[in-house]
Amino acid sequence: MDTFYVLLMAFVSIVVVNNLVFSKFLGICPYLGVSGRIDMAFGMGMAVTFVITLAGIMTWLIDHMILMPYGLEITRYVCFILVIAGAVQLVEMYLRKFFPPLYESFGIFLPLITTNCAILGLCLFLYVWGIDNFVQAAVLSFGAGIGFTLAICIMAGIREQLRFADVPKCLDGPPITLITAGLLALAFMGFAGMIK
Amino acid sequence: MADRTMTALDAVKGGLWTELPVLRLLLGMCPTLAVTTAVKPALTMGLSVLFVLFCSNIVVSFMRKLLKPHLRILMFTLTIATFVTIADLFLRAFVPRMSEMLGPYVPLIIVNCIIIARAEACASKNGIFVSAVDAISMGIGFTVVLCILAAVREMLAVGTVWDIPVLWKGFVPWAAMRMPVGAFITLGLMIGLVNFMTKTKAN
Amino acid sequence: MFKAIRHYVQQSWLLLVSAFVFGLLLALANTAWSPRVQQNKKDKLNGLMKSLITDANRFEIVCEDVQVDIGRGKIVKTDVYKAVGADGNDAGFCFRAEGMGFADKIELVIGVDAAFERIAGYSVLASNETPGFGDRIKGDYFRRQFAGAPVMKLGLSKSGDACKIDNEVIAISGATVSSTAVVNVFNNYLEQVKERLKQKGLVR
Repeated sequence: MDTFYVLLMAFVSIVVVNNLVFSKFLGICPYLGVSGRIDMAFGMGMAVTFVITLAGIMTWLIDHMILMPYGLEITRYVCFILVIAGAVQLVEMYLRKFFPPLYESFGIFLPLITTNCAILGLCLFLYVWGIDNFVQAAVLSFGAGIGFTLAICIMAGIREQLRFADVPKCLDGPPITLITAGLLALAFMGFAGMIK
Repeated sequence: MADRTMTALDAVKGGLWTELPVLRLLLGMCPTLAVTTAVKPALTMGLSVLFVLFCSNIVVSFMRKLLKPHLRILMFTLTIATFVTIADLFLRAFVPRMSEMLGPYVPLIIVNCIIIARAEACASKNGIFVSAVDAISMGIGFTVVLCILAAVREMLAVGTVWDIPVLWKGFVPWAAMRMPVGAFITLGLMIGLVNFMTKTKAN
Repeated sequence: MFKAIRHYVQQSWLLLVSAFVFGLLLALANTAWSPRVQQNKKDKLNGLMKSLITDANRFEIVCEDVQVDIGRGKIVKTDVYKAVGADGNDAGFCFRAEGMGFADKIELVIGVDAAFERIAGYSVLASNETPGFGDRIKGDYFRRQFAGAPVMKLGLSKSGDACKIDNEVIAISGATVSSTAVVNVFNNYLEQVKERLKQKGLVR
């Protein structure tokens, strides 16, 4: 029961308290580019969640079973990014073969996910936070993806409404999105201290 | 953006104004928001990106005739990852406190879209000299943007710039500037400002 | 079969060659600089420990991997260092400690005197607390209350005399959670580390 509680707290913490977008500044580029409409945003979020869970687990395994025991830590960054690129490629091929309509709806998002800082960021955070428990790593990876999806969907909802507002010409587009993101980050700060 | 080949002058102009990283190019924002809490880490990050951009542009330009099209992104990534690892090791060895402040954002230079974008758009199509100039100008542009953003945030958050107090004594610091809120809002306003400046120039 | 292999090699030779070259480059950089990185880590810890136990000349590890239960069933390991003064006598003990703060993990370095009777103080290694509030655990107001406090269960209260050094610590106003976190770290670690040192015969 205690382990379940710890895992639940870890999940909640990474979805709201340490949300990758609002408190660690990861995944901003696709965040700004794709949060125009809710359906696109949700699709991107799901794709990211899938890849991030897969990548997080794989890099954690490689880190703990190959890199650390054999002292190959210097190759950590190279290995991680290659694993992530490979994972995205695998997911793309798998989807194209077995779920073509899903692949079509993801469109260009999939290849774009490789350069999503959130994925590499999460893999590195798993190392920095010293997560030495496989289940916890998996839960955190999944939670990170959900957090990203949450952030991007909230933003998409707001932006859809913003289209009817009178935004000054030079602030239109990325600037107003960033300012909105700032206010959202402020709101999410309220979650700090939720976890004892 | 000029298509197949550029002159060195195009590269310089591009990096420093027309395609200014972050503010006009709208790439590489993740580290921008994270490390600009003070000018010193911002400068360190900017110079690290300059180093990686420079090395990777030169290496990619050197190999450009040998690259197979469907493996090229992998090659770019491998090159960039190697140089980022070297830069990170250098920082941890010679400026450990800065390295700690920057934390995990140094390896995130690998997925900094600016570097891959430049490798794809410029280095793989142009000679070594032009690619090198492009890297330097993009790197300087990026560093300048980071430093300005950091100066604003540091000044409002703590009252200092590069640890030198610049505001009057009674100034109550805006703690929000040190947190994600301040980062997002300041960057948004800066992009808006640059948009405004380009629009008035065009009129 | 060989045709397939030759085809693959033809396509990917550049990748393989550059992977090899980059690997060499990384290995070179690593051999050249990683000793410095290790030394930097040691210097940082030593610097922090020296600021707590000022008359120490050097520090030696006396107890590795001491297991400490920090609540909720989480067990972490820490190394205990003995501070040796210029005259060769024991000057105190130091160890890293961690706990859950308001926003994130808080890492401290705690110093105690040679008899493990009084706290020498603490320094914050890493923390992510709210600037202006929880961040003040790095400041003198809070830290001074621990210097010279007795090694026993510490209590936190909202008001009182901060200058009085005893087992009552006055919380930072507006940062109760962060203050509680630091006190909890002390309460968790002091008892268990002292117990372990007693077992080893280093402390009576």
